[in-house]
Amino acid sequence: MLVPLVIVSAWLCQVRFSGLWHDLGKGLEVIRFFFPPDWSSLREMAGPALVTVLLAALATPLGVLLSLGFGLAGARNIAPPWLRTTARALIGVERALPEIIVLLLLVAALGVGPFPGVIALAIGSVGMLGKLFADAIEEIDPKVLESVSCVGATRWQVIRHAVLPEVMPAFLANSIFRFEVNIRASVLLGAVGAGGIGFELSKAMSLLEYERAMMAVLVTLLLVFGAERVSDWLRAKVMDGGRLA
Amino acid sequence: MSTLTAAPALTPAAYVPPSAQFRRRMIWLGSCALLMVLGGVYLKFKPWMLFTDFHHLVRLGGEMLPPNLAMLWHKPALFKTIGETVAMSFLGTLLGGAVAFVLAFFASRNTAPHRLLRAFTRLGFGLERATPNFVVLLVLFIAFGYGPFAAMLALALGSVGLFGKLFADAIEQADPGPCESVASVGATRLQVIRYAIIPQILPSVVANSFYAFDVNLRAAIALGVYGGGGIGFELQLAMKVLRYPDVLALILFIIVLITGMERVSDFVRRRLIQSSESLK
Repeated sequence: MLVPLVIVSAWLCQVRFSGLWHDLGKGLEVIRFFFPPDWSSLREMAGPALVTVLLAALATPLGVLLSLGFGLAGARNIAPPWLRTTARALIGVERALPEIIVLLLLVAALGVGPFPGVIALAIGSVGMLGKLFADAIEEIDPKVLESVSCVGATRWQVIRHAVLPEVMPAFLANSIFRFEVNIRASVLLGAVGAGGIGFELSKAMSLLEYERAMMAVLVTLLLVFGAERVSDWLRAKVMDGGRLA
Repeated sequence: MSTLTAAPALTPAAYVPPSAQFRRRMIWLGSCALLMVLGGVYLKFKPWMLFTDFHHLVRLGGEMLPPNLAMLWHKPALFKTIGETVAMSFLGTLLGGAVAFVLAFFASRNTAPHRLLRAFTRLGFGLERATPNFVVLLVLFIAFGYGPFAAMLALALGSVGLFGKLFADAIEQADPGPCESVASVGATRLQVIRYAIIPQILPSVVANSFYAFDVNLRAAIALGVYGGGGIGFELQLAMKVLRYPDVLALILFIIVLITGMERVSDFVRRRLIQSSESLK
């Protein structure tokens, strides 16, 4: 059953074997252009790298707040059925929409710059975090909610004193993980107009300055690795003690 | 009132200093907030743009309505384009998964021929995962030209890093009991892998493949925007020539495509699990 599928998709992808070895040789040749990296441009890369990190750093809390709203609205034990259905549908639609499309739309409306980038990343977080938060809230033991509401707590007091403490560790861990994802995404979005290291990279590529592009790639690798380490460390801390400070 | 601690209420005059934990938390929160504000100033991030420039968003929305859904039958090539996107992610997943499956045995503690080889493969996976997909794509464009073929190879390479780590972790978690019992009757290293390890990791390999297909489908659309062909490229074209009704129609198709493929892969996976259980 797999074979016809492979053949059809190979045809659709315009896979060709005739020039493959020649093209592979060409590819290896191209990689040689990238070395040695242009170390002198390292200083110019610091600013764009900071922009990339800041885009993610500003977008993550905004996205977390937005997702918290959607998460509460999408939880069966908090929200009325009509609200839950709407919120879940919106979360589903957002999850199906790659960030880059949201960014392209925002850039078309607002022009290039950090603002559309941050908003696109924040909206992009809702699909993943909103669903995770809503699921975490729905998994809360109903006894906890009942015991708070039976001493006379209003809906908001239930959320403040029962829901939030219950989901806090999972909530923080997922948010920190999303920061790591946002760093990757902000490099990607940079290339289509949000600025930062991604923009620097695509600029260097289109100017055929491959050694400079290699430097941008190295800085990107450093950023992504660094974000992974920091997020692993923070998450281990959160899961360990349930709080950050 | 929501506070359940009654002690401060009895002696209203007495000042209760905030607990050390509360103060620590406030300092932590405050410094984070300050850093964010400084970052926003550095970026020239203007949050009020959401209100001052909101009419631009409304105008864009107005220009996109109604979506030009008719393009689906005016432009039959669109089906091929959508097929291209699905084919890219399917082949990319398959190819990347196959390569990663082999490499994973070099990257796991219990099957690697040598410690150094394991460290080396693991490092390669890590580097590959950290490299953004579109960097790989830009290099492949030079070698293979624009189009879905280069994008498919970029997806395959991208899957190797993700799959490789997941598969290698699965192999390392495999129960050593069966491996030892197979080895004790004289099996070679390859025979141990074939008869003791592969049966154990197969379920996780299948589950991860479906997960990677979902990830790759989204990535295929994003790579299309950079010139990799498929529906992403079509969308970017429509955007460049300012045909916003087409843009909205394409976005709707993308949403339907992704949710639809999620359902299909769910269905196939469930069938696969059922059939493998009935074989036992």
